[in-house]
Amino acid sequence: MTGIDLSTAAVGRTIGGGMRRVFGRRTPAVDRFAFACVVLLLLLAVAGPFVTPFSPYEVDPAGALLAPGGGHLLGTDDAGRDVFSRILAGAGTTLLAAVGIVVLSMVVGVLVASVAALLPRWADEAIMRVCDIFMSIPSLVLALGLAAAIGPSLPSIIIAMVAASWPGTARLVRGILRETMGGSYVEAAQVLGVSRLRLMLRHVLPNSMDAVYVQASMEISGTIVMMSGLAFLGVGAPPPSPDWGSLVAQGQQFITSAWWVALFPGVAITISAIAFGLVGDAVRGFVDPASRSTR
Amino acid sequence: MTEPVLSIQNLGVRVPERARLGGGAGDLTVVEGLTLEICPGERVALVGESGSGKSVTARAILQLNRSLVYDGSIRWEGEELLGAGERTMRRVRGSEISMIFQDPMTALNPVLTVGQQVAEPLIVRGVPRREALRRAAGMLDRLGVPKAKERLKAYPGQFSGGMRQRVVMAAALIAEPRLLIADEPTTALDVRVQEQVLDLIESMSREMSLSVLFITHDLAIVAGLAHRVAVMYRGRLVEDSPVDELFAHPRHAYTRGLIGSIPRLDADPDTRLRTVEDFMAMEGPSV
Repeated sequence: MTGIDLSTAAVGRTIGGGMRRVFGRRTPAVDRFAFACVVLLLLLAVAGPFVTPFSPYEVDPAGALLAPGGGHLLGTDDAGRDVFSRILAGAGTTLLAAVGIVVLSMVVGVLVASVAALLPRWADEAIMRVCDIFMSIPSLVLALGLAAAIGPSLPSIIIAMVAASWPGTARLVRGILRETMGGSYVEAAQVLGVSRLRLMLRHVLPNSMDAVYVQASMEISGTIVMMSGLAFLGVGAPPPSPDWGSLVAQGQQFITSAWWVALFPGVAITISAIAFGLVGDAVRGFVDPASRSTR
Repeated sequence: MTEPVLSIQNLGVRVPERARLGGGAGDLTVVEGLTLEICPGERVALVGESGSGKSVTARAILQLNRSLVYDGSIRWEGEELLGAGERTMRRVRGSEISMIFQDPMTALNPVLTVGQQVAEPLIVRGVPRREALRRAAGMLDRLGVPKAKERLKAYPGQFSGGMRQRVVMAAALIAEPRLLIADEPTTALDVRVQEQVLDLIESMSREMSLSVLFITHDLAIVAGLAHRVAVMYRGRLVEDSPVDELFAHPRHAYTRGLIGSIPRLDADPDTRLRTVEDFMAMEGPSV
């Protein structure tokens, strides 16, 4: 009657096991491809600035607006800078900032939701209604206003995006916590004299994090798009630093004569958003197998 | 006769109108005028059909559902528990009154080790970790978990249902409470494991002079375990008798129905099994 050590349950807890699970046979080909894309994108985000074939900043008026092919794989922009190099250099800003925004938003959201869950009912309600008020303002408008007010820079865009997204996260996490708190092991611990704070920290939060991770992985792709949107509208990192949204914005004025300047950064945004979105779906599939049948 | 440890006097429980699921006007009375006493070391069974108010009564003792409206009194060793603050209840829960639930499969936190969970009632009361874990191993061993010391590091998912119920009991008993409330602790287990768990409850009750309030709808369990049986019907206590007397001379029509509806091995296979309602209809309503 003693339990068997389920060694299969340990697969996925080590990096090797995780890799086998992610790239194993049972993962659909689309997901494997998306995981590979995300790994590649994240590598580029870190290493991008160091592997650019040309300097992303050096101006060369003689080679302005060259078409793709030839010496420049994706052509050059109006100042003669290599578009491919600028995309590589911008990968870090765009992708790492998107991941950072989501992580920060989750941290704030989980904190607010846990505090709300511990407070008396009226305070919980009050906090959640404040979140509702924030959520009723379109997040792009809110982030745009905030970023413009702080001044265009990467930190300000991150602050603005986190400020615009945490209320939604807090609402969602509050729901997840509520569900976990209804679990009978939480009540079982409560009847043994465990305090509310300890219940939250040891029993409720650890059992809610799976759902939080899923939500986080799903939000990265939307964040990439929204961040690029903000940069496109001019509140992104200031000009020489090339994040993807600003690259599209720069190329936009030559869209009829030199389409490559705006198109390729846009393609980079699209590929990233789709890859991260698919990975988010796949993560949900791993954590909650019941959701798999829906696609 | 000895002083009762737990004394419930005239307990009433109502679901306030705003908390009623599915609406409905006015408060919903779920328990009314319930009086019940439990003496040290006594095992009392609280039986009744689903919705008769058994679990609500048990949860009222530990003040688990604060959105319900209570009246009457629940005294634990002279101290009033109805309306007592969280601080008082936290002291009482686990070390004076413990409770175990129906389904051992969901009563353990899947991400904490068995040792952490069994030791938790001690740790939250300031017992040093190492000492708490040592006593957890001792308690698991007493409850018949083999290789208890090594198994402290195992997760609940690695245990079978019967073993998990032992773990749940170990956590409930480790802080040496004087009353154990068992809310249908064997309903989710198969018959053989049921018997083991019942034997454990009985032997622990003897060893620790532990009072037990055993909630069930299975009269067969009651016969072997309880000293006294209290029968609830529609939120009221309709009978409270020593176990032998209950089976020999059931006083209330509902109790007679309950006993009469137990299928018998020596019955004529062609006659229809009788329901509680058949008996009650025969005798007329007398609640």
